[in-house]
Amino acid sequence: MSKRVTSGSELVISGISRAFGAVQALDRFSLTIAPGELVCLLGPSGCGKTTALRIVAGLEKSDAGTVMIDGEDLLAKDANQRDIGMVFQSYSLFPNMTVAENIAYGLRVRKKSKEQINKRVAEMLELVSLQSKMNSFPHQLSGGQQQRVALARALAIEPRVLLLDEPLSALDAQVRTQIRDEIRRIQIESGTTTLFVTHDQEEAMAISDRVGVMQHGRLEQIDTPNTLYNKPETTFVAGFVGITNYIPSVADSKNEVQVLGQVLEISEHSSVVKKGEEVRALVRPESIHVEKASHGAKIITKSFLGPMTRVGVDAGLAELIYAEMSSKEAKKFDTGDHVKISITTEMVMVESV
Amino acid sequence: MKINLSKYSTIGLVSLLSLIIFVIPYSASLEYSLRGKFGKGHDLTNYLWIFHQEGFLSHLSLSLELGLLAGLLNLVLMVPTATFLHLSLQRYKSLVDFICILPLMIPVVSLAVGAEYAMPSFLQNSQMELVFFFVILALPFTFRVLDSALSAIPLKTLVEASRSLGASWPATIMRVIVPAAKGGISSAFFLSFALGIGEYTITSLLHWDTFTTWTVDISQQNVLGSIALSTFSFLFAIALLVTIALVSSNRKKKQKELGETS
Repeated sequence: MSKRVTSGSELVISGISRAFGAVQALDRFSLTIAPGELVCLLGPSGCGKTTALRIVAGLEKSDAGTVMIDGEDLLAKDANQRDIGMVFQSYSLFPNMTVAENIAYGLRVRKKSKEQINKRVAEMLELVSLQSKMNSFPHQLSGGQQQRVALARALAIEPRVLLLDEPLSALDAQVRTQIRDEIRRIQIESGTTTLFVTHDQEEAMAISDRVGVMQHGRLEQIDTPNTLYNKPETTFVAGFVGITNYIPSVADSKNEVQVLGQVLEISEHSSVVKKGEEVRALVRPESIHVEKASHGAKIITKSFLGPMTRVGVDAGLAELIYAEMSSKEAKKFDTGDHVKISITTEMVMVESV
Repeated sequence: MKINLSKYSTIGLVSLLSLIIFVIPYSASLEYSLRGKFGKGHDLTNYLWIFHQEGFLSHLSLSLELGLLAGLLNLVLMVPTATFLHLSLQRYKSLVDFICILPLMIPVVSLAVGAEYAMPSFLQNSQMELVFFFVILALPFTFRVLDSALSAIPLKTLVEASRSLGASWPATIMRVIVPAAKGGISSAFFLSFALGIGEYTITSLLHWDTFTTWTVDISQQNVLGSIALSTFSFLFAIALLVTIALVSSNRKKKQKELGETS
């Protein structure tokens, strides 16, 4: 495999805003992506992640703010002058062109020589392992193959920044994982600075150097997947990234909370609480320990997830409490068993009710 | 195998109606046009008579030229218009739709006289003004054909993909939109072309001479020749459309074969 490492470009988005009528899609959104980095924007529908990406691409206007690549202001330029590669959710391959012609398109409009085009198309076909399909038309390819062609087409122009707008959403689960890994491999090989938009947290965590979680047009937190999961800075991030139990609790003081009969420290970034206030403690399923008991809480659901198993426990609260354990350990439990549950961490995040 | 009787009876009914409406009159015309001198025997005398009439080739080529220009002008005007209406000017679509329908609502005499005065003087004195009239007359049909052709393709993402790859608007229209919607675009072209080569009323009102007006004049000299002329015009139009359809289907077939062998 031919390997091409580029230095990549720095993308700096500063305070961009965009309103559609009364809806504020983006509200002073800022983000800096280092050269060669892959950053994912993650958030629920309507949080503004796609709008941000489209403004960078030049497909949407911004009401305020700047977008710079390597210090050059992009907002004054048309979409076709930005040197940005884009991959869309719906593939958007040109139906009248073969795979090779699709990949060559950006080079043709740049008036590259025939030799340069042929060489680059061959490199790209090799990169996405589709040499045998070079003369096929898009309708003759599977969804995964089409998206690989779209990726090759976007990379063929050696873009300063690569934008991926939910590129895996239209694919089935198995192909999605495969293409996801392939995108990451190709991105590392090409060293292209990449902004990836998705609403799938697993996808974001698996592929990114950093993940930015968005809500109401603003960035709630941006960090490595590990930090984001283990040290969320807001209750929204804690709730949106990974599975979280919201356990009704009572604050013992402004620093301590009683959860399931245990006194735990309140982590920073929690809501400000006062003694006696009813709150909700956010606890990850892997931080819940389950042991057999003769009475009390009862296992209601048991979901096998491969190496891990998740059990849903009725502890007399409004909602089930979920705990995760190794599937080997989970063999000891069945639905209907009485259990005792406890929290294994010393610190929890709380939010006001 | 279960035979779908209602399907076959529909096909039979349509075939019978086609026979009555099209095949019988045209067969009769063909037979009539092939009759020899004084109605005796069958030969090509009447057809040879057409080709020997003065102005046959010049009028035919003028009509073809005007039709071709009308078809091209229509595309140059309407493809970008329909594209932008689909992409970002949706709210103006009904207004454009209304404007395009006007040529059907305005009486041809008013249209001819009104538009004639609106033309710049250098066009008023040139046969080329007919191209603009043919474009106007074809608008109600071409706009609808282009509108549905563009609705059938993922226009927005194709345009965005092309633009993000560095293509200008003209390059995007020529390299992506036109090939992706070529069925509808070629239909729009041939509608204008056919209307251009067959238009009589406005041409006659404005005192211009094309193949259609020449046909009417020449028909008054020879009854059998006039039948031959109308049969020739009909067969010529059919031959033109069949050739175009064959060329287009051959290209599609080649594309398919190329894809399958890869």
